[in-house]
Amino acid sequence: MLGCKGPARKPKSESTRRFRSFPLFDTLTLAAIPPEDDALRGKVRTLAQEAVADMSLAERSRSWSGFDAGFSRKLGEAGLLGLTLPTEYGGGGRGPFARFVVVEELLAAGAPVAAHWIADRQSAPLILNFGTEEQRQKYIPPICRGELLFCIGMSEPGSGSDLASVRTRAEKTEKGWLLNGQKIWTTNSMHSDYMIALVRTSGTSDDRHRGLSQIIVDLKAPGVDIRPITDLAGDAHFSEVFFDNVELAEDALIGEEGGGWQQVVAELAFERSGPERIYSSIVLFDAWLAHLRSVGRDDPATTALVGSFMAKLSALRAMSLACTGQLAAGESPVVEASVVKDLGTAFEQDLPLAIGDDLAAHPDEAVSEELQDALTYVTHIAPSFSLRGGTREILRGIIARGLGLR
Amino acid sequence: MTSEFLEPFEQMLGEVFAPSAVRAIEAGEGSAAAMQTVEQSGFLDALVAESEGGAGLSLADVAPLWMALGRHAVPVGIGEAMIERATGDNEAARRENATALLHAALIAGAAGKLLDMAVAYANERVQFGKLIGKQQALQQNLAVMAQDVVAVRLAVELAASKGWPETAQAAVAKSVAAEAAPRIANTAHAVFGAIGISAEHDLNLYTRALHRWRLAGGAETLWSRRLGEEVLASSQTAVDWTRSLWA
Ligand SMILES: Cc1cc2nc3c(=O)[nH]c(=O)nc-3n(C[C@H](O)[C@H](O)[C@H](O)COP(=O)(O)OP(=O)(O)OC[C@H]3O[C@@H](n4cnc5c(N)ncnc54)[C@H](O)[C@@H]3O)c2cc1C
Repeated sequence: MLGCKGPARKPKSESTRRFRSFPLFDTLTLAAIPPEDDALRGKVRTLAQEAVADMSLAERSRSWSGFDAGFSRKLGEAGLLGLTLPTEYGGGGRGPFARFVVVEELLAAGAPVAAHWIADRQSAPLILNFGTEEQRQKYIPPICRGELLFCIGMSEPGSGSDLASVRTRAEKTEKGWLLNGQKIWTTNSMHSDYMIALVRTSGTSDDRHRGLSQIIVDLKAPGVDIRPITDLAGDAHFSEVFFDNVELAEDALIGEEGGGWQQVVAELAFERSGPERIYSSIVLFDAWLAHLRSVGRDDPATTALVGSFMAKLSALRAMSLACTGQLAAGESPVVEASVVKDLGTAFEQDLPLAIGDDLAAHPDEAVSEELQDALTYVTHIAPSFSLRGGTREILRGIIARGLGLR
Repeated sequence: MTSEFLEPFEQMLGEVFAPSAVRAIEAGEGSAAAMQTVEQSGFLDALVAESEGGAGLSLADVAPLWMALGRHAVPVGIGEAMIERATGDNEAARRENATALLHAALIAGAAGKLLDMAVAYANERVQFGKLIGKQQALQQNLAVMAQDVVAVRLAVELAASKGWPETAQAAVAKSVAAEAAPRIANTAHAVFGAIGISAEHDLNLYTRALHRWRLAGGAETLWSRRLGEEVLASSQTAVDWTRSLWA
């Protein structure tokens, strides 16, 4: 008997489990997907399998860069977009776990999700949180239908990690706003309807976090010039976007004038905390597993390598779900999301290197051209995983602040 | 939020396994008195069924106690005894898997303690006229250490969440914990500089324990192999395999 005096009572396992013997990050704790959200899986999987049926392995390895507006509209029709958004705006009225399930299935299949990706993940939640009722009515329903495409206008040539130094400027006019400046690396801007841009509305770069606002830019407005940039794999998924005296209506401002910094920080928590930060190399991982199974290789070195990655995947998925649990509880897991993103992107980056080394160590095995192409692509693009959405060093800085070191 | 068992358990560990006591046991001065106190507390029967006079706790209930053992660098086999008492002669596999989870939990506990110590020291030690914790190089290393600590804890909680773990479930916890343990120990030592190397400093109670628990019963390669064998023997995708392991 525990405590030797008196009968031992069984504790409520809930409370035992929630106690941490060390206080750091005790907010990050196991979370399970509610059954009603997990039930979405079959429906997503069917649609995803249809969409990738004619895609090559290398195309499916594009992960969330693959663009197919028709597919995104299909997801919208099937009620699989805007799951975190209220039904009154055409959303699913569910929550982050439902989105986790859908995103996990889409990424695992290598489905082309880029068209709705950013709007569904962060633009619509931002508009819901900070927008006026008119803005919500205008933008959110078509986002949930997969019809309205958004991009993120944060980075500029002179402002990457140091986001508060942005110089693109929106000047108040009689009719609304006059926008001048330049954004860069803007993913999918060439296909998008709108950009939510972080701009300066007062003061100068020296004012740092003060005087920044977020503006919804109609990318079809006169004075917007979008020039795609080709990446090292030959793809053009991002662009430079120039604003030359772009006139925008008064209601282009989203949220509070001068409140842009706080809004962008909240937006980044959505951007960083999803399962996409562990699954960028998952199509390649599966293709490698299929290769090993087909050649029947199961020697100790191989099983150890496979097991090591699988153990990490299990732990990362649990961590990502833990983050999702925090989002579901209405928290903004900024530090926790940084932990998961940094570990997750390291996993995504280690995979192609280990797989390349493994296949090169077995020159006697026939490797399909498809697998080879996918491997080459993921190997080359992988450094971007820990740049997009905030660099590794910046994330570690956020964690260090969470530790009380800064 | 505290548990009605964890607090008294931690309190007992604090009394019985203070760093000086741990050192004495390590020096061969015997652990009989300490074990007697633990025996009397009843905690050794934590996993034994209530019908057999135990507390009937689940592994999810007990994992925090195991992490507490790690946090105190307890040098005697309390967790092992809990498992021993709750398993029969013909349950060697069940015992082995639970023991792997135990070692992972011990690592999680000691790792958390090391992170606390390293962060506290970084906020205290001054070089070049400022706290070493203000140096970005150290901040980045400590951030990586924190990531490892969180990952190990989640892997342990996960593996403890489904009752007595299957081989693959135990393997997830032990593989992740064993691989992270040396990185965690190394960063802790790096932050403390020479003082952590001295025998009388408490830091190395925990770093030495990390290495011991990493190797006990097989480290990352052995457990990853077991996991990998099962993965390759199945035909599932990585995500489906992981999902079904924890379904
Ligand atoms: C594929 C891809 C898609 C992208 N899509 C978008 C998008 O849609 N919208 C958008 O706005 N942006 C986008 N970006 C840009 C991305 O957000 C930036 O690349 C990122 O913020 C880093 O900025 P930078 O590239 O200017 O690098 P810099 O900020 O110049 O950093 C260069 C190096 O210096 C390090 N560094 C900088 N400051 C510090 C510091 N204080 N301490 C330590 N190290 C530091 C960085 O970590 C990095 O290693 C995308 C990038 C990529 C690769």
